[in-house]
Amino acid sequence: MDRDTRDMLLETADRFFTERCGREVVNSVEKGIWPADLWKEIEEMGLPLIAVDETKGGVGGTLADMLALLRLAGSHAVPVPLAETALANLLVGAAGGQPATGPSTIALGPLSLAGNRLSGKVERVPFASVAERFVTVVNGTLAVVARTNAKISDAPSHAGEPYGAVSFENAVCEFTGTSAANAERALELAALVRAMQMAGAADKVLATATEYSKQRVQFGKPISTFQAIQHMLAELASHVAATIASAEAAARDADEGGVPAGGSFSIAAAKSQCSDFAQKIAAISHQSMGAMGFTHEHILHHYTRRLWVWRRDFGSESFWGAKIGAAFAKAGPDGLWPALTASKYAA
Amino acid sequence: MSIPKLEFPPFHLPEEAEALRGEVRAFLKDTLPKVKKTEDRFSSWNTASPDFSRELGKKGWIGITWPKQYGGSEKSFLDRYVVTEELLGNLAPAGSHWVADRQSGPLLLRFGSEEQRQAILPRITAGECFFSIGMSEPDSGSDLASVRTRAEPVPGGFRVNGTKVWTSGAHRNHYCIALVRTSGQHGDRHKGLSQILVDLKTPGVTIRPIINLAGRHDWNEVTFNDAFIPESCLIGNEGDGWLQVTSELAFERSGPERFMQNFYVLRELVRVLGRNPAPRASAILGRLIARLWTLRQMSVAVAGMMQGGKSPAIEAALVKDLGTIYQQDLPEIARVIAESDATTEDDLADFLDIAQYATMMAPSYTIQGGTTQVLRGIVARGLGLR
Repeated sequence: MDRDTRDMLLETADRFFTERCGREVVNSVEKGIWPADLWKEIEEMGLPLIAVDETKGGVGGTLADMLALLRLAGSHAVPVPLAETALANLLVGAAGGQPATGPSTIALGPLSLAGNRLSGKVERVPFASVAERFVTVVNGTLAVVARTNAKISDAPSHAGEPYGAVSFENAVCEFTGTSAANAERALELAALVRAMQMAGAADKVLATATEYSKQRVQFGKPISTFQAIQHMLAELASHVAATIASAEAAARDADEGGVPAGGSFSIAAAKSQCSDFAQKIAAISHQSMGAMGFTHEHILHHYTRRLWVWRRDFGSESFWGAKIGAAFAKAGPDGLWPALTASKYAA
Repeated sequence: MSIPKLEFPPFHLPEEAEALRGEVRAFLKDTLPKVKKTEDRFSSWNTASPDFSRELGKKGWIGITWPKQYGGSEKSFLDRYVVTEELLGNLAPAGSHWVADRQSGPLLLRFGSEEQRQAILPRITAGECFFSIGMSEPDSGSDLASVRTRAEPVPGGFRVNGTKVWTSGAHRNHYCIALVRTSGQHGDRHKGLSQILVDLKTPGVTIRPIINLAGRHDWNEVTFNDAFIPESCLIGNEGDGWLQVTSELAFERSGPERFMQNFYVLRELVRVLGRNPAPRASAILGRLIARLWTLRQMSVAVAGMMQGGKSPAIEAALVKDLGTIYQQDLPEIARVIAESDATTEDDLADFLDIAQYATMMAPSYTIQGGTTQVLRGIVARGLGLR
């Protein structure tokens, strides 16, 4: 979609998320209440189909359009699997399938496919407890399994989202097709989605802490006037800036290659970077807001807890760091600088 | 809620700049083994080599953005970016011309007289004229507006008295641009300050070494004792010194030298860990590489903004803050992982020396060119906190 169309869509979505994803909704999802109305409205806006072809009833946006939307969703802690479903739909559409309605999720892990039967177990599948279907890629094949054919054991994430382990025992797939993204690529795309959500959440954390410091009065003046607080928030800003910059750079590089390939190294570096700084962002923001920010009452934890969970999703900084480090070590010292300037794995 | 906007729009260096990168690499591969440098096993932008700078000047890569009439090549700011990052990435001893190329030349181009430009700029681009920065004084560090060095108007010029400190390379370089008080009183702050071009051989100018904790002689104390500076050496208008010096600082903060001064540590870490490190060591190496990649993305984005005519002062401050702290983290993280995962004892001993040297130099990174605290003040203002 062109720039204006995207901006308009993002503006509409921003207003919608502000109105409909407030504190109460996020908190009630944590109590296990599925916000059916919210999901229905999100579907009516076409958001889960943002990167699906118009011929398949989608919005016809690119990977970059989808990522921009999901960064925005991250800045609102949208408590439904919009990110997972949008990516699942993108992958299903690109594999020649027809995306269905209802929430989906991505289950990537040690799975095996025999004909159209899927077997294996994946831990920590986001929104496993509420997803109507699971989308996975095994080698080069995309497979979709209905919830009724999977065994789910609930294990909510530390952010209170309905994560869980999913087992497939010779489960019948409702669709299989040649995937535009192989299994490794699917993991990269999922990691990139999380990096963009983290960029959104980090942005919100900075805005929240900054705003709070201007309101909170101690010793007779707003704490924002204290140099100690100013310097903490400036340091926070530097970590938030790095998070945003790395995710956006990876989003650009990935989009240039499209779904099948492109920006592999940038994605790995961005997810490593975003995961690496999540703790700093959480720690400084909490310290700057004192006990208030540590309460369940305040919204800060909607974002800091997601940063802590998302840093581990689809590969932590250790996972992606090891991948980068192994490639660069193998290439030796002379490979380092040329690869870095080309945003490529050293070879 | 007003959300402070921190955007670093991803920016691609244009093809022309990437083509130049290839030329610079080929040149460095050929030239680096042949040039002499003053010290350091591993070079950077603070390692002087007049030899090297002259060779670079012959290629037209100093003052690359300046008008041709002054010896420049009229190339873009992004071409300059590529040249500087290639110098750093390939550990070139680029210290002799660095300051002249980065800030003194651009300052003269913007505010200097025609006579000054013609006399100085072609010599800078030829790699034959080197500059020092005359800002700090014994009583004026972060609080630059409190400078006391006084240039008293006398017939035909100024009589200068005072002391500048931390003047890197003054013992090797030809000129220094000094921020001095030309009118008013100490305490007038930004008013009455001017910048003057000082030939470091001027009678009455004395240069004494200030040795740093690593035993290196980079810094100097430059004292002015009734030194006569001709009127023709006033840069810009009398009293505009503060405005000029702040524009100079923007050049000083935004470049890749703020996260690549000790790039050699990362290179050597790759070497010492060998071709097939354990996953734990790979992960730590990879995280360091990812952070450096991010800094480069941010810095290139800032370059793109500057090329687009913006003045991203807050973004530049953020890059310097993050970049200099990265440079402090790097040798410490590297040291610990090398101790457990180096492939051979000999390599390890050598690497620990390198890392310790880097750690010893590291306190300077968050002080020079604006301390962390000054930078965070700038960012805080950008966040609307002051």
